[in-house]
Amino acid sequence: MKDVQTETKLRLISLQLESWKKLHDLVTYGLDKAKPIISAEQERQFREVRANLLQETEHVLRELNLLNDLSGRAMNVLKRGSSLRTVRELSNDDAGHLEVEWNAVFTKLGVAQGQLKSLRKAFSEVTPFDYFKSRLLGRPLPP
Amino acid sequence: MFSVETRVLILNPDPVFEDRLLSILDLTDWTETRVVRSLSEAVAILIAESFDGFIIEGEPESAVETATVARQHFPSLKLLCVPWERPSADSILNAQRQHIPLANGAASTRRLRAEVRSFLNGLDSHSGASAEGIDPCHSLIGNLNQFSAADVLQMTCMVQRSGRFTFKSGRGNSEIYVHQGEVRHAVYGTLEGEGALAEIFRWRQGRFYFEEGIISQEQSVDRPLAHLLLDNLQKFDETLEVAAVTPMQ
Repeated sequence: MKDVQTETKLRLISLQLESWKKLHDLVTYGLDKAKPIISAEQERQFREVRANLLQETEHVLRELNLLNDLSGRAMNVLKRGSSLRTVRELSNDDAGHLEVEWNAVFTKLGVAQGQLKSLRKAFSEVTPFDYFKSRLLGRPLPP
Repeated sequence: MFSVETRVLILNPDPVFEDRLLSILDLTDWTETRVVRSLSEAVAILIAESFDGFIIEGEPESAVETATVARQHFPSLKLLCVPWERPSADSILNAQRQHIPLANGAASTRRLRAEVRSFLNGLDSHSGASAEGIDPCHSLIGNLNQFSAADVLQMTCMVQRSGRFTFKSGRGNSEIYVHQGEVRHAVYGTLEGEGALAEIFRWRQGRFYFEEGIISQEQSVDRPLAHLLLDNLQKFDETLEVAAVTPMQ
């Protein structure tokens, strides 16, 4: 069987990870000074991904019970990278900090996604009968 | 009933906060879903991968407009448009003209679930690995990611061959019959003629082979290959323009 909460959290975490990956692709491009100039289209994509993250991150992290762990770090990344042009102009130190903060968010979300997938797997092996029996008997599920 | 391989692409510009339909799909068995936020992302994915259905959510007018664009670029793809509120009469009329089914995104969850299930039940799932069965004795065998259907047809027609091309991909199997250098008949699922050709020209994944001498009694294509190529390649270019430029390009 499928658990509503697990499925919702997995969907939210997948969307959030997708946005963080896109942001990373763009930031990596921005930081690489050997790459050609930043196009208006790339700047638009960056603005869109950043806007999505700004409005969704807090909600998603709260749903995942990760707000205290990650909210500050996520906001640091989004504040430091206000546009692709500012990313390109970051000093080596600032670029290093940005990478560290992004990595902390990405790693924690990745681990949480793995845990949720494991929970989903455990739920898939539970029959509705087992589920209701365990609720009646007050035993935790999935094992 | 839909099977394990049913794949559905969902376009939802605000999937975190407007997630009623997504939560319904979360609990639907036998369906693999992928969520994108923009039409350009959707088009890029639809060109590269195979989906059995495409659900478009969004603000009423914008959802219908997006579905109309999708219908023009992917004529055989099964669409469901789910506007978050009731669209204007003009938009409803427009959707009907384009044969785009509309579901009421503002309806009760129960009703919306029933509409989505009915859409999913109507999908043919033919995703997954392409069927093989390619005989090494076939006179021409190849991969669509190296040579597109347009390329191989051009070559065959240039040398005035007659025979049957079979294309096998995750989207299904299709056949194109050529007779003395001209396309005579094309079939893909329920599509025949130029409609089938238009679909096959877009495939970039899969395999093909040519069997010399197999002639079709039916004739569903009567225009010269050059005209067909010109029209379809132009349409494909327009589709590519809708797809976003990736950050690495």
